[in-house]
Amino acid sequence: MEEPKVELDDLEVNQERLKQNTNQLKNLRVYGSLNAGMIAGILGMDGWIGMGIYVVIFLIVSACLAIKMNFRVKEYFKSSYDAYYSGIGTDLLLFLMIWVIFHNLVNIL
Amino acid sequence: MSDILIDDRIRDWVFLPIIIVMFMIQMFRGLLTKYMDNKKTSQKVTSKAQVSEMIDKNITQQSQRLARLHGLLPDHSFKMKRAHLCDNKSGILTKASEKPAKDPMQSMSMMNPAAMADMLKQNLSGIVFMALQYQWVSYFFSGFVIGKVPFPLTQKFRTMLQRGVDVQNLDVRYISSISIYFVLLFGGLQKIQQLMFGDDTDEFVDDTQMQMQMQMMGMPAMPSFGQQNDPGKLFIAERTRLEGVKHTFELNKSQDKAIKSLKRFLIQ
Repeated sequence: MEEPKVELDDLEVNQERLKQNTNQLKNLRVYGSLNAGMIAGILGMDGWIGMGIYVVIFLIVSACLAIKMNFRVKEYFKSSYDAYYSGIGTDLLLFLMIWVIFHNLVNIL
Repeated sequence: MSDILIDDRIRDWVFLPIIIVMFMIQMFRGLLTKYMDNKKTSQKVTSKAQVSEMIDKNITQQSQRLARLHGLLPDHSFKMKRAHLCDNKSGILTKASEKPAKDPMQSMSMMNPAAMADMLKQNLSGIVFMALQYQWVSYFFSGFVIGKVPFPLTQKFRTMLQRGVDVQNLDVRYISSISIYFVLLFGGLQKIQQLMFGDDTDEFVDDTQMQMQMQMMGMPAMPSFGQQNDPGKLFIAERTRLEGVKHTFELNKSQDKAIKSLKRFLIQ
């Protein structure tokens, strides 16, 4: 995973690199929610357990990100909230879609 | 209530085709926007009203840049630039803020016709495909149950999710094919397309998604023309913001910063 460094110092946020980092993060999150949807669908999870899987996998992705950054969030993103928790709602619909599709394909149809 | 198992043939001929077709149309739409953007030439400034709009936009850009990057300028330079913009009698922002408020109807009609044509084309490509897919799905695949949603829903969703299926007591979790269409539409085939097309199409995808949201809300809104009604107010706001800026020249702090980053570098 390529994540160029960003030095945060008042004026000196390097915009290009920050944008690249956030794009990578977005891609990562999409992969994460795809996987979460497949797991929830194939295992036949129902209702709130499925939502729980989504949150769990989201947190696992954030944890892997933290390990990769060696816990020095400030050098790569604007804040730790930004990097770890902010995008949880945006990929939720994607997760739902994949969950419905795989649940139907494997269990019912 | 026991589970209903659905025939294999529905999966082969309904479920998978809907997904594949919608995905293909989404990719096709992405290619189409790419193609149309390549064909777009730069627009010539045609009317005087448009020139004054450009001037206004440039003035706001200049003042915003000054407010954001004031640390890069030494004291006298910043004061001169600020006076140039905000002076009580001859500053650009004060003169601009005294302009009368523009009539909203007037400002909308005086837009560049090429920009209108562009927006129309984008809207068309979005709406036409959506309507086409909806018609296709509802014509060919209506009247039967296609799958099951994994989470419990209330009875209120029955009309939306079970259109065409007239069995009264059927669990609301069993859905018809139109609801698969909606799930796919909102769920974000766009995101998967984004993964495939790579990073440079980010702007296009954002545009279409923003457009779709606006169509859903039914507003004939203009996304990029923010200051239709009262440019004077905008300039007054900019001026108060500039006058409130506390200016420090960053070079004064440079020794401390150098010490800090050298320390950090040596420690690693």
